[in-house]
Amino acid sequence: MSNALLRLDGITKKYGPNTVLDNVSFEIGKNEVVGLLGDNGAGKSTLVKIMSGVVPATGGDYYWDGSKVEHVNREETERLGVETIFQDSALVPQMTITRNIFMGREITNALGFMKMKEMDTIAAEVLDSVVSIEGIKSPKQLVQSLSGGQAQAVAIARAVHFKRSLLILDEPTSALAVRATEALLDYLRQLKGEGVSSVLVTHNLHHAYQVCDRHIVMNHGRKILDVRKEETSVEELTAAVVGGAEGVRAYRASLGN
Amino acid sequence: MSNESKPEVLEAPASTESITRVRRISDNQPKSGLEAFKYNLQFIRGRGAFEISIVLLVLLAGYVVAGLIIPNDFPFLDSNNLSGVISQAVPVLAILGIGAGILMVADEFDLSLGASLTFNAIVFIQVDAKFGLFPAIIAAILSGALIALINGAIVVFTKIPSFIATLGMSFFWAGASIWENGTEAAMIEDKNRNGLMEFLFAHDFGVFRSQLVWLVIVGVSAWFFLHRHRLGNHIFAVGGNTAAAEAISINPRKVKLMAFAIYGGLVGLASIMIAVRTSSMQAGGNATQDFTLFAIAAAVVGGTSLQGGRGSVIGMICGAALIELIKNGLILGQAPYFYITVFVGITIVIASIFNKLMEGKAR
Repeated sequence: MSNALLRLDGITKKYGPNTVLDNVSFEIGKNEVVGLLGDNGAGKSTLVKIMSGVVPATGGDYYWDGSKVEHVNREETERLGVETIFQDSALVPQMTITRNIFMGREITNALGFMKMKEMDTIAAEVLDSVVSIEGIKSPKQLVQSLSGGQAQAVAIARAVHFKRSLLILDEPTSALAVRATEALLDYLRQLKGEGVSSVLVTHNLHHAYQVCDRHIVMNHGRKILDVRKEETSVEELTAAVVGGAEGVRAYRASLGN
Repeated sequence: MSNESKPEVLEAPASTESITRVRRISDNQPKSGLEAFKYNLQFIRGRGAFEISIVLLVLLAGYVVAGLIIPNDFPFLDSNNLSGVISQAVPVLAILGIGAGILMVADEFDLSLGASLTFNAIVFIQVDAKFGLFPAIIAAILSGALIALINGAIVVFTKIPSFIATLGMSFFWAGASIWENGTEAAMIEDKNRNGLMEFLFAHDFGVFRSQLVWLVIVGVSAWFFLHRHRLGNHIFAVGGNTAAAEAISINPRKVKLMAFAIYGGLVGLASIMIAVRTSSMQAGGNATQDFTLFAIAAAVVGGTSLQGGRGSVIGMICGAALIELIKNGLILGQAPYFYITVFVGITIVIASIFNKLMEGKAR
């Protein structure tokens, strides 16, 4: 309990009459890679928005490093060191790669004027080292000229560059090529050694199973499974994602036979 | 099952280094001078300023040649034309274009620009008569900024589209001008106009006037602000993708209000220039109304996107200059007045189509 970096307790989220999240509680441990799985509409993306402070929860508590955070918003979570890659990548297409990466966190002199060269250099370094994506010519390119995978790589590069304690990746591999995906998964494994926790939200159970220490499966706004990697298998996770709680029970029963 | 042999593994072509090796950004850096030129050029094309400045330079070159060959029929280079017309008209529209353009980059616009011009000019003239020049300059700029901030607050906090909100406010400020001053023209007294006021806002230096100096000051500051300052970067971010800016903890309301205030200050400055040039301002007249759409047109011709997130200060200045040069050329060529509006209209539409095409090509 004391080792948790982030603990969500009884999180509920309602949009009008619709309950999107129903009493969800879980922890993200320090130096832990957690897989957040579930089918479409399971509430994963809403959970990501609540964890990253973009959307307030209707009910429930948010604990950081053992102490309760009263007002969870983006300013607060940025201060705590939470960095998120959103599914819709959250880039500005008309702006350059560099300006997207440093958006809101520009490197400036004392008067607030940006150090363009320095930012360009760092942007190129981050793109080259973290996500080995092909076809990006220069950090001065506009994001609108990039392919889906390249844009996603830029979003990942941004989060990776600014991450401090918790990195949340919402469907990061959906538009990435095989090689770029492998590079990203390698990077997540390596992150653990650097004292950064991460949450990998994905449809792709094989990717999650490869790198995550623990798996949380969501179904219709509820948490139905929270297991360590050693205690589960790709098959069980598949059963949970596809069949919900019933599916897990059926799968476990079939193992017993 | 076990008897069936597995499908044979087929050979792929032998991989070459170019396939197996990931090309990195550092591999793409230019090596020679010409390469560096081409490399940098591809990041200028289609971003607003480059194409329009070429069009402007070509037109300007044509005017200069015509002015040299037939100085009597086309007196473009006549000092009366250069200082009397060009350097009075271009700076005012360019400053308004920069203001409207910055606001458009933030994905807003203000249809009460013309009404605000009239109101600020009357404020300038009245304060000048009572308290002198410098209080009047400050009052006019503050008046412009305040009007824009009120408009901005309505748009930002009620989420009414700026088209409707500022259209309504346009009538409000036009009425407020009459309420403040009556329908009789407010005049700058001759003794006030001469001296420092004339030197600051209308002095003839032979081939150019004080207004051009203001344009240089405003243009350079606006460029550094919009393209090199972090707050300018936030304007692009909010105008381009509000949700993305918000997710990274930029407050879109603050940024938009800031854009409105800057725009308003520039409108205030422009209204001083207009008031000093004509020595008077009439409330309820429509002398300033045209500026509303011309300022937006200058920004659009200069490559500013109506959808926000895209635009450049150099483009906005070039757009204003292009519109004024075309007007000037038609007047010098003694075209009938309706030709002027027809040609200006065509220019605006063609430039917008052209910019739209270039926008898609931007890398």
